[in-house]
Amino acid sequence: MNATSDKPHRSDPADVSASIYDVVIVGAGVSGAIIAHELGRNGFRVLVLEAGPGHDLTIPGYEQYLSRFYAATSKDNNAPYPPNRNAPMPRSTDVRRLQPGEPDASGYIVQNGPIALDSTYTRVVGGTTMHWEGKALRMLPEDFEMRARFGRGLDWPISYEQLAPYYRQAEFELGVSADVEEQAYHGIRFDPGYVYPMRKIPVSYLDKTVASGLNGAEVSLRGARFTLTVRSTPQARNGVPNPRYDGGKGYVPVGAVSVEQVEQGERCQGNNNCTPICPVQAKYHAGKTLIKALATGRVKLLPQAVASKVEIDPDNGRVRHVEFKTYTDPGSTEHATGIARGRVFVLAANAVENARLMLASGLPGTSNLVGRNLMDHPFLLTWGLMPEVVGTLRGTQSTSGIQDLRGGAFRRHQAAFAVSIHNDGWSWATGSPYTVLADIVDRQNQFGTALRRRLVDQVSRQLQLAFMVELLPDQNNRVTVDARYTDPLGNLRPVISYGLSDYTLDGIAYSRQLSRLIFQRLGVEDHTTYDPLDYGYISYKGEGYTVRGGNHWAGTHIMGTHAKDSVVDGTQRSWDHENLYLVGAGSMPTTGTSNTTLTLSALSFLTAERIRVGLDKDRSPATIAAA
Amino acid sequence: MSLKRIMTLDELHNYLHAAMQLEHATIPPYLTALYSIQPGTNSAAFHVLRVVVVEEMLHLTLAANILNAVGGAPNLAREGFVPLYPAYLPDGETDFEVGLQRFSREAVETFLRIERPARSPEESQGLVRRQRVGRGLLPTFRAADDSELHFYSIGEFYQEISRGLTYLQEEKTKSGETLFSGDPARQITPDYYYSGGGEIIPVSNLETAQEAIRLISEQGEGFGKRIYDYEGELAHYYRFQQLVLGRYYRKGDAPDHPSGGPVDVDWDAVYPVKTNARLADYPQPSELHAAAVEFNAQYQGFLGRLTQAFSGQPELLLDAVGDMFRIRETVSRLMRNPIPGTSGLNAAPTFEMPLPTET
Repeated sequence: MNATSDKPHRSDPADVSASIYDVVIVGAGVSGAIIAHELGRNGFRVLVLEAGPGHDLTIPGYEQYLSRFYAATSKDNNAPYPPNRNAPMPRSTDVRRLQPGEPDASGYIVQNGPIALDSTYTRVVGGTTMHWEGKALRMLPEDFEMRARFGRGLDWPISYEQLAPYYRQAEFELGVSADVEEQAYHGIRFDPGYVYPMRKIPVSYLDKTVASGLNGAEVSLRGARFTLTVRSTPQARNGVPNPRYDGGKGYVPVGAVSVEQVEQGERCQGNNNCTPICPVQAKYHAGKTLIKALATGRVKLLPQAVASKVEIDPDNGRVRHVEFKTYTDPGSTEHATGIARGRVFVLAANAVENARLMLASGLPGTSNLVGRNLMDHPFLLTWGLMPEVVGTLRGTQSTSGIQDLRGGAFRRHQAAFAVSIHNDGWSWATGSPYTVLADIVDRQNQFGTALRRRLVDQVSRQLQLAFMVELLPDQNNRVTVDARYTDPLGNLRPVISYGLSDYTLDGIAYSRQLSRLIFQRLGVEDHTTYDPLDYGYISYKGEGYTVRGGNHWAGTHIMGTHAKDSVVDGTQRSWDHENLYLVGAGSMPTTGTSNTTLTLSALSFLTAERIRVGLDKDRSPATIAAA
Repeated sequence: MSLKRIMTLDELHNYLHAAMQLEHATIPPYLTALYSIQPGTNSAAFHVLRVVVVEEMLHLTLAANILNAVGGAPNLAREGFVPLYPAYLPDGETDFEVGLQRFSREAVETFLRIERPARSPEESQGLVRRQRVGRGLLPTFRAADDSELHFYSIGEFYQEISRGLTYLQEEKTKSGETLFSGDPARQITPDYYYSGGGEIIPVSNLETAQEAIRLISEQGEGFGKRIYDYEGELAHYYRFQQLVLGRYYRKGDAPDHPSGGPVDVDWDAVYPVKTNARLADYPQPSELHAAAVEFNAQYQGFLGRLTQAFSGQPELLLDAVGDMFRIRETVSRLMRNPIPGTSGLNAAPTFEMPLPTET
């Protein structure tokens, strides 16, 4: 037994085909890991199928990702993760400007337009939490009732209050650092005495400088006045544990994932590459939950197994098994086909892959909504130079933001948005500091001391604001499959159609105006320019903007109250297939202005509880019969 | 400094100052070995050394907590706090050298000796009369007849602190007082310090003080005859031993017989840094010399910051994280560069602390 690998927890295809599990989960990301752990520790036998390789639960495995990231020329979200022909992933570097009416099939995702979307996801153990930034904001209570309150979008079948206990579980599991007193705004309610597991991550000097220039500023939007406040952002990264947590029991931060004792990753050190990979594992990733699941002894992981079909029993609509293709070498398409059988099946492969798998299995649903209502958060970036050096590039990537325009009556007319202040400067917008360095060397011909001084002057004053704008469900935004587009294993690739409504575009336009106001107030020299040749460039009401994807894929199997107008119920159970759950952000009917991971983690706890209760019920009569 | 049997509060303070000095003294040798490993290589060795350094910092902090609890005032910035290397630790009848050297088999052998001090054969004795070879990291012991004795090992030194704490608290209790009259605001709590390697213990009474002593003295060599300590942490001795034996320990393993996965060590992927380098080894003026001077000033500043943190400003430990990054950068600048005229030896930090300015 080789202890530096995770072999002890792995299964092999022959074993899997010969077994019947209580629960079969597709995808070893955050949803799959939470559900596997919850069910494994409650005595159920669980199989997790993962499309990517499974060496990731060891320090050497993790460090290979780090070295790959350090050596990569492009520092995009998937830079640390090796290409895998059999489980390809979208990369922002694949995206090109679309020509009307011509789909672009050059990347893994086939882009049908009208807008080319550069959002990504990661197909490795840990899923997209391997590259996420770690922002862990709750949704606002009003986000769950968009239709009822504002006549826009859809209502959730569950309320904020119903989800609140699961938010608490998710904040524990992900290890969220924040101060409650700062986070109770726009109706967000916490139980009396509740504190986050850890205190807020210390805010950066840049945040403090922006706050001192901006706090108290008033802006008006659709007749209402809003006062701006710079607020620290709840983050799933290790900070100072709060001794008051859990009624005074405190919280022990979870460090690096390893079979051996290494004691790393206990606390955020302020490295500036949280996305795509935290060098010390202070940031949460789903491997931390998965290793606990595997330690129950009842959860098995089968990596390099790409789910290819959900097989339905035509008599009763129940899932019979999930078919998968296993490969031994990520560089070769040689593979074998196997099946995983269980009593309950959970698709936890993310909003795009869940929909892709269902559609590839010929299962568009009674409502025909599988794949529809695809959502993401469009981002508008604006950037400029502060009047003085503010220490940009110090601290984690983002520690504060402005949340005052996440909610309000204006949502009848235009999109809400959240603003992040970026400690990594213009990195996302322009590729700084690498591009700044190249510019000073190649175009300004500077070297030695002058080069260093100029670099400091140009980088340490950078301010970048990221406006994350609400996008409502729209049936025309969707994931489909098309027999013309397959991956090397023969699986159908996702084809996406994606556009922005005027509701969202008005939010984007307002964001640009607001950034001008903020810059003016702070004395910032605005350097924002949007290149009409950029793949994300759009024109709206006479002004041009470049829009970026937020990697917050959602909405492809929305939850609701009826099989006619939704794919799953309020527990993420399929209306059509009673032993099937489709989990993740795909179940969300709206996403408001919250990064999706915390909410989908909360939903995973809710679903795990539902599955457990269902299996317990199944089990009790059987036990009685046997006796 | 020489120590006497602990009969007064002053003597207890002296011992605790010496304990802080001792706990710190292993950090420069471990750091030198840690940072001499070429980046991106020797992951296993890097992590082993790193966790031991982190836990030595925990011990240093625990010693500061005990000192603060009994009304003392930690001072890491005072002259002589950082020893001039090489220095010596006792191992029974002899002393062995503890120096600043690159990561190597020889260095790991030294680390094993540091972490597993021999215990005195006679329980009650613990002191020996013999010659010293050089600068000792443990103070000598002055007996009642004023003759000079030596602690048999670090274990005996902590035993005396433990005994002294109990004795003085009993004396204080008799007169209705307490030994633990220090300001609780000067304690470092888990808020500001945590690692997987055992938790910081705020000290407020005899019980917590003894608990802290136990953690300090047992984390090195293990608990009883087991390889894991009381907290379930693999003891330092066995962590280092994994590098020599080439295999990880697993729960349930017997000492000297690890059964975990292989530990790969590349003894050559190491900067060839000069052993016990001194400022005088670097040409003057030169960038190397300037960097070495800068390092010593940074390190002295770091110790000053810790002193403030241990004097009622625990939040300064957060700033100390930034200091540690700067320290690493400066060490790496030194270690990547050869010393002119040495045919292939690279520079290293000297840890010769600048003298405090005269007042």
